[in-house]
Amino acid sequence: MNDIRSGDAILTDWRAAAARFERAVAGAVLGQDRAIRLVTIAIFARGHVLLEGDVGVGKTTLLRAVARAMGGAYERIEGTVDLMPTDLVYHTYLAEDGRPRVEPGPVLRASEDLAIFFFNEINRARPQVHALLLRLMAERSLAAFNREYRFPHLQVFADRNRVEREETFELPAAARDRFLMEIPIEAPRDAEARRALVFDPRFHDTDALIAEVEPNLLDPSALAGIASAIQHGVRASAAIETYVVALWEALLRPHAAGIRLPGIDDLAGLVQGGASPRGVAALVRAARVRAWLEGRDWLVPEDVRAVFPEVMAHRVFLEPVHELRRSEIVPALCRAVFETVPAP
Amino acid sequence: MRRTLCLIACLIAAPAAAQVRAVEVRTPRPFGYFLGDLVQATVEIDVDPGFVLQAASLPSPGPVAYWLDLRAVERETAGTRQRLRLTYQTFYAAIDARSLEVPGFPLVLASDDRHGSTTATVQVPAWSLGLSPLREVQPPRRADPADYLRPDGSGPRLRSEPMRTVSLALAALALAALGLLARDRAWWPFRARPSRAFAGPARRLAVLARGPQTDETYRAGLTALHRGLDAAAGQRLLADDLAAFLARHTAYRGQQDGLDSFFAASRLAFFGGATGDARAQLPLAEVAATARRLAAAERAA
Repeated sequence: MNDIRSGDAILTDWRAAAARFERAVAGAVLGQDRAIRLVTIAIFARGHVLLEGDVGVGKTTLLRAVARAMGGAYERIEGTVDLMPTDLVYHTYLAEDGRPRVEPGPVLRASEDLAIFFFNEINRARPQVHALLLRLMAERSLAAFNREYRFPHLQVFADRNRVEREETFELPAAARDRFLMEIPIEAPRDAEARRALVFDPRFHDTDALIAEVEPNLLDPSALAGIASAIQHGVRASAAIETYVVALWEALLRPHAAGIRLPGIDDLAGLVQGGASPRGVAALVRAARVRAWLEGRDWLVPEDVRAVFPEVMAHRVFLEPVHELRRSEIVPALCRAVFETVPAP
Repeated sequence: MRRTLCLIACLIAAPAAAQVRAVEVRTPRPFGYFLGDLVQATVEIDVDPGFVLQAASLPSPGPVAYWLDLRAVERETAGTRQRLRLTYQTFYAAIDARSLEVPGFPLVLASDDRHGSTTATVQVPAWSLGLSPLREVQPPRRADPADYLRPDGSGPRLRSEPMRTVSLALAALALAALGLLARDRAWWPFRARPSRAFAGPARRLAVLARGPQTDETYRAGLTALHRGLDAAAGQRLLADDLAAFLARHTAYRGQQDGLDSFFAASRLAFFGGATGDARAQLPLAEVAATARRLAAAERAA
């Protein structure tokens, strides 16, 4: 079903590029089709992505593969307890001639062409670093060396280890809200994919595996334009607008929407806040990209549903008493919202 | 009719004679007693002041003769007059009217003064009792010995109306309680029928398909079938969920083509902004037919 008009041939071409990109990443990362699709959506929605998952499920591999397939300037940094904001901006050393030197750090090294900034283990970094990152993500700019640097093509990918809690710093709500998506990564369930991952030596050497990925499939400098074209090209009918607003309302006030969750008595006091207008706008942005990837130039409820948990779940803040069971409650709440709100 | 039987006691001893002035036994009548009758006899003794009957000398209730029992003895004092009320019962089965003698008995009177105790004995005289038979000695012959027996007395008539009323009221109460219990436990008449998800939408669509066709009615018709599908699925059913829905509800599998085109038309009408195209693709009459077939499949399932 190709409803896009011939005048939008450029969008069609880009859709083919996106498909090639997905195939290239899927060649290196097995059994993560949904995560790859979501990352693709995030790229075309110009949103930052946080991957969350257990140790060794392929978060870093996925992001490295994405970075290589996408192309453009790429920097990465590892989050540690002693990492300071300045470490991102510059580093100082004594040169061979004995004179002190100041060189640009990872963020500034590629100058304003930086397309992908990959923050590994983001929750190991201190809140000061989160604060710097907040500005980098929100405004795509940074003040250093008496001037302001702008990064129009920048996209931040971060990953976070869900298991460890020692020596980590929880991301502030504002920083989490800046991420378009929080994508949970789990080891593939499919038995064949698991066998291949364990026994195929191809998956044991990550560097070689990443080197196989076809590089530079998407031009980062053109992405902003195409993202804007997608947002303008995909129509949202009055019905879908009503639907999204009803979803939003049901998510914030589940008791009023008639939602019942097992094991929670005071549903009225469950959701403390969150689900900001920025979050819902991000939801629609991601849903539009999904509609475009599916070959439509209009939104359907399935588009919203496909991206809803990853875009909205981390923006919902529960009452502290329920926060510990967040990983059960929020997915159940998202499911219940879609089971309750009528689509057309 | 009270006849007094008066006997003045003979003076046996001078002191006693001086102390007891008169002894008198009275009965209501001297004759006309039958087997089992109670006989009231009153003994009145006029004594000198200070003398009272000694309790130990009173006759004790019990058999007096083989045909006579003393049932009760009561004593009272009125001034110098000592009175005994005796209740006898006769067991004499007389075959003709005859007079029997009730034996007398002695009584002791005592007076306590500061010089010591003075006692006097007084003999209550025997008196006679006229007893009569209950029936003739030889009753007339009867052919059937059972005729000698009197017929049984008829028992009191029991009224059945109040009991019937009470039992009917209790039955009604029990029925009401059963109704409440059935409602509480969701037993038969209260057991919610498996709701017919498609019956209502099919009716509504039939009405809409007959009426004038506008975009509004078309969308209303689609919404009606959407609500039916939501109810059947137990959640909101989107187009992408159709395969899973049909896998779960095998009864509707035969309607897959109809449902596919319905969802395609619904998408176009609601989200594609092309209700006209959708109407051309799938007229409301066909949607109504799909709903009718779904309702039929639902009843058959």
